[in-house]
Amino acid sequence: MLDVGRHPNIELLAYSEVEKVEGQAGNFNVTVRRKARYVEEDRCTGCGACAEKCPTVVPDAFNEGLGERRAIYAYFAQGIPSTHTIDADHCRQLNGKKCGICAKTCQAEAINFEQKDRFLELNVGAIIIAAGYDVFDPSPIPEYRYQEIANVVTAIEFERLLSASGPTGGHMDRPSDRAVEAEITVLEKKAKKSQKTLDKFEEKFGEPSAEFYEKFQAGQYKDDEDRQKWADKYTSHLADTEPLEVLKNKAEGFSVAKRLAFIQCVGSRDFRFYPFCSGYCCMHSIKEAMIAHEHEPETTSSIFGMDIRAVGKGFEEYKIRGGNNSNITYVRGRVAEITEGPNNNPIITYEDTRERKVKSQEFDMVVLATACAPIKGIAELAKTVGVELDKYNFVKTSSLSPVDTTTPGIFVCGCAESPMDVPESVAQASSAAERAAEIAFQPGNEKEKAVA
Amino acid sequence: MSKDVLVIGGGIAGMQSSLDLADMGINVHLVEKLPSIGGKMAQLDKTFPTNDCAI
Repeated sequence: MLDVGRHPNIELLAYSEVEKVEGQAGNFNVTVRRKARYVEEDRCTGCGACAEKCPTVVPDAFNEGLGERRAIYAYFAQGIPSTHTIDADHCRQLNGKKCGICAKTCQAEAINFEQKDRFLELNVGAIIIAAGYDVFDPSPIPEYRYQEIANVVTAIEFERLLSASGPTGGHMDRPSDRAVEAEITVLEKKAKKSQKTLDKFEEKFGEPSAEFYEKFQAGQYKDDEDRQKWADKYTSHLADTEPLEVLKNKAEGFSVAKRLAFIQCVGSRDFRFYPFCSGYCCMHSIKEAMIAHEHEPETTSSIFGMDIRAVGKGFEEYKIRGGNNSNITYVRGRVAEITEGPNNNPIITYEDTRERKVKSQEFDMVVLATACAPIKGIAELAKTVGVELDKYNFVKTSSLSPVDTTTPGIFVCGCAESPMDVPESVAQASSAAERAAEIAFQPGNEKEKAVA
Repeated sequence: MSKDVLVIGGGIAGMQSSLDLADMGINVHLVEKLPSIGGKMAQLDKTFPTNDCAI
């Protein structure tokens, strides 16, 4: 990433979209919309002082909504460019409220609420589409109850939980436990605030709130307005602290997830959604189970699938290594249903096809190996750029020219073409780069010849 | 005839294409929709089959 940001021959246009493409191979006129960040890219040093002070909290898309960010933010810590961005949908100032704290904090004077989208005209010889993919949203699958059971997560969400730079610092804290902890924090804050007011009353009248309250309930101080306020405050304080104690007791029993289940082919190889195999999910689940075991050696994982597709250099060995060293059990069979048991534990009901038996098993957390879905907006992009898509909405290619789109001079690589893993994406990217270079270095253009 | 190349998408594929072209001496314009490049791979903690760090 850093190399891309630094390379003198690469003009990095982040937070931008292609608006219009005209022309043909060797001579495309492209209009790029540079979306307003409300932060001057050449001034922002990426120090993050603005984000520290910003009062608006928003779920963090980079952490799949498991963490929080501010309305002014860096997409992720090591992001290139490091320029911060104001989220216009959530920023108070941009929504007509009084704020502007970031502008006051920024020493580089980079905040510019007046910034507008800018348009850039480019003339290029070739175009490479590397638009990527979307993680399939498993909500429409009724039997997995992704929306209902907190401890059923997608593989990319689990990836963020595993990451040392993620919302849990690499601990496999279960989403249901994190929700309880968040509630505790809120209640503690409230209780602390009401305790302060109670302290003032106690000082004023010289007796503890509990003793006073007993007397108050017994009918003393009936016409005393001040004491009425005290009593009201005390009841609301109790309403906060009582559930707080219950939650705190509950939280004492929390530990990281140690019994993991991975469900393969969620949305892929499923005729209700995508009939194709997404290719990388088997290996992805094995990797996540291995890393989870590295973090917490007591972790056991069961991977439920029709088969494990470990096709690639070193992949089969990796799968065996996972089984031998990382407590991974490979279970052949498709999961019929996930239900929620005690302690928010998901229970999986499945058919073990080797034993021909229907079984149920309880886990701490279930990870759904979701399909590689065509990226949202690819239909519009394909129309703008002028290429055809296949029946699933991946960019159309043929097997003998896997990086050539239906339009000469426009190439495709990575998951925009079809589901693939990182090594394949890199290989196809180099291939697409070479095809584009053929156009750039075409004979007949003296300037290019000299460079070549 | 233009010698420049436009790359749409700043994930692992877009970054690799851009670097390859740039190393050949070709000017690349890399367009990314999100505020930072990196794509899905930047969200990954480690990559298989070597368990190398993704970033």
